[in-house]
Amino acid sequence: MMTQRRPDRVLGGPHDAFWRYCEQGELRMQRCGACQHLQWPPVDAACERCASTDVRRWDRLSGRGHLVSWCVFERAYYQELPVPWDTILVELAEGPLVVANPHGFRPGPALFGARVEARFTVCADGAGEFHLPVFALVEPPAPADG
Amino acid sequence: MRLSTAPAASAALSREVAVAGIGESDYREDFDASRGRAPDRRPPTAAELMTVAFERALADAGLARDQVDGLVWCTDPQVTDAPALLGISPPYRAQGASILPLGMAAGRDVIPTAAGALAEGRCATLAVLYTTTPRTTRKQFGGVTYTGGGRNSYYYYHPWGWSSQAAHWALMFTYYAQLYGVTEADLGRVAVSLRAAATRNPRAIMRQPLTIEEYLDSPYVVRPLRRLDLCLPNDGAVCLILRRTQDARTGPRPPVLLAGWGDAEVSERKLHHLVKDQLATVMRAAGDAALAMAGLGLGDIGHFQGYDAATCHLVGQLEGYGFAKPGTGLREWAAGRFDLGGELPVNTSGGMLSEAYMHGWNFIVEAVRQLRGEAGARQVGGLAAAMMAITTTESAHPLILTRDGT
Repeated sequence: MMTQRRPDRVLGGPHDAFWRYCEQGELRMQRCGACQHLQWPPVDAACERCASTDVRRWDRLSGRGHLVSWCVFERAYYQELPVPWDTILVELAEGPLVVANPHGFRPGPALFGARVEARFTVCADGAGEFHLPVFALVEPPAPADG
Repeated sequence: MRLSTAPAASAALSREVAVAGIGESDYREDFDASRGRAPDRRPPTAAELMTVAFERALADAGLARDQVDGLVWCTDPQVTDAPALLGISPPYRAQGASILPLGMAAGRDVIPTAAGALAEGRCATLAVLYTTTPRTTRKQFGGVTYTGGGRNSYYYYHPWGWSSQAAHWALMFTYYAQLYGVTEADLGRVAVSLRAAATRNPRAIMRQPLTIEEYLDSPYVVRPLRRLDLCLPNDGAVCLILRRTQDARTGPRPPVLLAGWGDAEVSERKLHHLVKDQLATVMRAAGDAALAMAGLGLGDIGHFQGYDAATCHLVGQLEGYGFAKPGTGLREWAAGRFDLGGELPVNTSGGMLSEAYMHGWNFIVEAVRQLRGEAGARQVGGLAAAMMAITTTESAHPLILTRDGT
């Protein structure tokens, strides 16, 4: 697959850890050792819910979820990306909502609530090559469940 | 000096402080000048904008500049010494913690803090001055250069090509539209309605009537939202003269009282609150606090202005603050309930979609005009209490203003 150029990631500390897991094909998030809350995006020092500093454990997630929302950029905000540019909001089975891109489909009303699962696509930014989590439909599309 | 902690919503502060004077820059004329459509006028500088708003507010309040003993200024870009720029040296002076009149800096809301300073006697005549110049500075509201907006909102999703305030509203509305079965044409009714109000406001930037067909033909920015769903970027300034209510009663204009405010902020799972909750939890909490402080019920509010950064966000606020049931805002709008002449007129100046993008400061001015009975062709009859709300992608900050004696 051709490497896609993307705008720069946030890097450093826990962000580097997140992308390292992605490179291994794993979607992981920090789970708070005190209240079990999953952090997204990664937190630097403390749980966003209970402020515990016990946030060093990275749980592997299923990568499965369903399509909650989407929007399509018609105005170009990034020189690296063409328009129209599709973005989606996925609710992961474990709870967190993540902004991502659709892989192999265009979002629309018929896919509201559709089941999706993570794929990793090879991209590059100013810091080099990385594996970006995106989401493909799980066939066949499930009926809308909100 | 930065503003210290703002007083929480407290009945003891209700109606203690009033708006005694209002002043604004010439939104429409300056907008035309900035676009080269007014050959005899050049776009004013930030200093000129501030000066004109300040002088107009003083004149409106019937005061001389040397009577001003307090100044709070909220400017973007930042101005370090606004008193010197205005040629005054008030003993109480503070740079606002935010560009917004309420919100964006937890516990440091500008208007409640200003009211607290007056109530405590730290000053007697306080000018609160706001100016913004996004058009002059060519501020971009999305992309890698835009990093504002609070915790993890804009900047984290650059690798997926997702950013901008508009993208937040777009994700909210897509979900809402699927949940409740509303269409883009239903949403267009909001832009059309606010434009109709703006045609009755001589200060509004966008005054040409808008039809639903023109709305549907207009370009998208971030689908499902069009340019006409999103607020204007323009330069401008607003100044309010605040005084203790008994002092404000001696002025030439009827005082408009700060009766109640509230404040609630999302602390975690921002996207969940934004999209799946449509911010309803924070709006309800903040709205209830403001009503309790004012000693009023929702039914007492006769005029509402919501932060119309986007059409859909205004609908969300009508529902979130309790003026319409979830999912019914657009239906009620179609029935005329929120138009001028309806049961609860909304954003009667044309709002930030059609009057000017003044971060909600122009809502305070419009509420004052309405409560004084000075709103001319868009006057709401028999009005005693108005609510306006600053509602960001993660927080809710309503303010209730009332006519004296109510």
